[in-house]
Amino acid sequence: MQPQLKSKVRCADREVGEVAKVIMDPLSFEVSALVVSMNGAGERQVPIGAVQTVTDNLVQLRSSSSEVMALPPFKREDYVTLHEVEIPGLEKHVHVTPGEVLVPFPELERNVKRRTFFANLTYVTGLFIGLPLVFPVLKYLMKPMYAPMDNRWLKIGNVAKVKANDVGVQFQYKRSIKEAYMPETEIEKNAWVVKATPAVLEKVYQGKDMEFRDPLGKPIWTNKKDIPYLAFSGKCPHLGCAFKWRNHKILGPVFLCPCHLSIYDASGKVLDGPAPRPLDLMPIQVSASGEVQIIDMEFKAGTKSQTRIV
Amino acid sequence: MHDTPSAGPQPTVVEKVFAFIDERVGLKQLTAKMLNESVPGGSRWAYVFGSILLFIFGMQTVTGVLLMFYYVPTADHAYASTQYIIHDVDYGWFLLSYHFWGSSAMVVCVFAHMSQVFLWGAYKKPRELIWMVGLALFALVMGFGFTGYLLPWDQRAFWATTVGVEIMDKIPVIGDFLARFLKGGPIPGQMTLSRFFVIHVMVLPAALIGLAGLHLFLFRCAGPAGPFRGTPVELKAKTDYFFPRQIWKDMVGMAVVFACISALAFWEPVVLLDEATPDPGDYHPEPEWYFLFIFQHLRLRMFSGEFGQFLASMLLPGLLGVMLLLLPFFDRNPERNIFKRPLALIGWVVLTVSILLFTVSAIINRDFLD
Repeated sequence: MQPQLKSKVRCADREVGEVAKVIMDPLSFEVSALVVSMNGAGERQVPIGAVQTVTDNLVQLRSSSSEVMALPPFKREDYVTLHEVEIPGLEKHVHVTPGEVLVPFPELERNVKRRTFFANLTYVTGLFIGLPLVFPVLKYLMKPMYAPMDNRWLKIGNVAKVKANDVGVQFQYKRSIKEAYMPETEIEKNAWVVKATPAVLEKVYQGKDMEFRDPLGKPIWTNKKDIPYLAFSGKCPHLGCAFKWRNHKILGPVFLCPCHLSIYDASGKVLDGPAPRPLDLMPIQVSASGEVQIIDMEFKAGTKSQTRIV
Repeated sequence: MHDTPSAGPQPTVVEKVFAFIDERVGLKQLTAKMLNESVPGGSRWAYVFGSILLFIFGMQTVTGVLLMFYYVPTADHAYASTQYIIHDVDYGWFLLSYHFWGSSAMVVCVFAHMSQVFLWGAYKKPRELIWMVGLALFALVMGFGFTGYLLPWDQRAFWATTVGVEIMDKIPVIGDFLARFLKGGPIPGQMTLSRFFVIHVMVLPAALIGLAGLHLFLFRCAGPAGPFRGTPVELKAKTDYFFPRQIWKDMVGMAVVFACISALAFWEPVVLLDEATPDPGDYHPEPEWYFLFIFQHLRLRMFSGEFGQFLASMLLPGLLGVMLLLLPFFDRNPERNIFKRPLALIGWVVLTVSILLFTVSAIINRDFLD
């Protein structure tokens, strides 16, 4: 039992005063000393070890009254109150107040039966306001997310630029973009064109024409297996960086992505590095005069299968 | 003249205002309670990182707001307005560079703060919630970095975002939706810029302020953990209050961090690359240095193929995150001394060393790309 404030304090021989203050230990959260008001003769700090028993309204000390009087006077400036300091959890351990401190419960509140009902009603009202907003807000935010694909043919240059077989040649082209309210602009993109030898063509097409279909399965274009020109999307199928045609010390001339070091041969096959699939081919047309046209496509990176996103 | 007898000198205006407020809100008691927080075992330099992070966040807010006076978040003007800030606005280069280096400082100090808490075993009961909210704050800081460097709309911005969003695309079930949601379309463009901008300047700051407040509240509920060594008597003998000794150390820490960020901003100001375009030219895309270790480990052959990539970019970081989140619950041993927790010590060293190694090897790798 913790000593109560205002309890009488009795020494071995006689009563000396009452408990005026209680001093707590900030680490153990135990009462460490009592401050005894000595019936008008000042205050003394009595360590808790000197207390023999604590009962209701009485603290019995082991020492004699003269011993307690001989203790040095209590020094208030060595202490702070609980209101001036933050020691987490300490207040929960203090049980020295002389009884409960009460305020009246308002008249109107006394007979309210449906407290739980009203509490739940607030949640229901919240849901009533929030739920109808979910769908409109989602749709609002999702507006630009699923744009239809664009299957226009884009002129990207002339094959006269391609001087050698099985070599990656970069074709830079501009693609016009009209985004929402923004003025129509052109963005620079690039594709890699390879004039493939029959061996490389065989590696790419494996004897079959390559068909491109839209998400609904409608055919868009077919790359014939004996047309020697290949157009690769400029986006690395690993994580979407832009790859280049480089001379590799061991592997010779290859497509190399500087981001995560995926390496592909002229047919787009993965030779080394983390890429999960070969380079992505795009529909290509070469006119009699050598003008190259492609349908600009981009595919989701990082997956084994191709998923078109542009 | 007629002297009125008074107990002491007349209160000054400041004292009167203080008394006015104190009478209404209990300012004295509130201040006392704020400043008189017991620090068991006494103040230490190791405890400065929390305050420093708050300081860095404050400065990021100030510099960020100032940058918004000129910056325009549109695909056709973001780059030009950033260049304008750097080249034409007085001290614009400094404010932008301070904001840039401030983000790096944030990452460094978050790492130091988390390491300190981890090594001191301060995440253990009853401080589990502080730790978990702290991890959420860590995620927000990374989110700030990721959304922030798209805004100048240069090549670095474009490619970091392209790759970063492709990585998010690999999150199971919601990945595709999330990637499209962030990009606001198939390729990074105006919608992406608008989204990243509003996330960077509104959503994340609001979340960070809320969570940082919660973090502090929880910290005040549980109190500082104190050192992991020492008997209660020794701790009590060395205990002091947050003010003044700890605040003094915090202030020195803040001043040092401020000086470092300013020096970096001064000697290594931000230089933009070419304006963003889906054709990188000769530029070798690379993320900010604090993402380099993730970037580098994605290059490893063991993480090749679709599953390998999922393992490297989702599963391993995800597992590490979940492990850290649940750490206070499976590590129930009340022992806090790091020298008596070999597994924790080894885990921390391995993680730190591998982050360092991957970062350094990414930097070395640069030389072999041309």
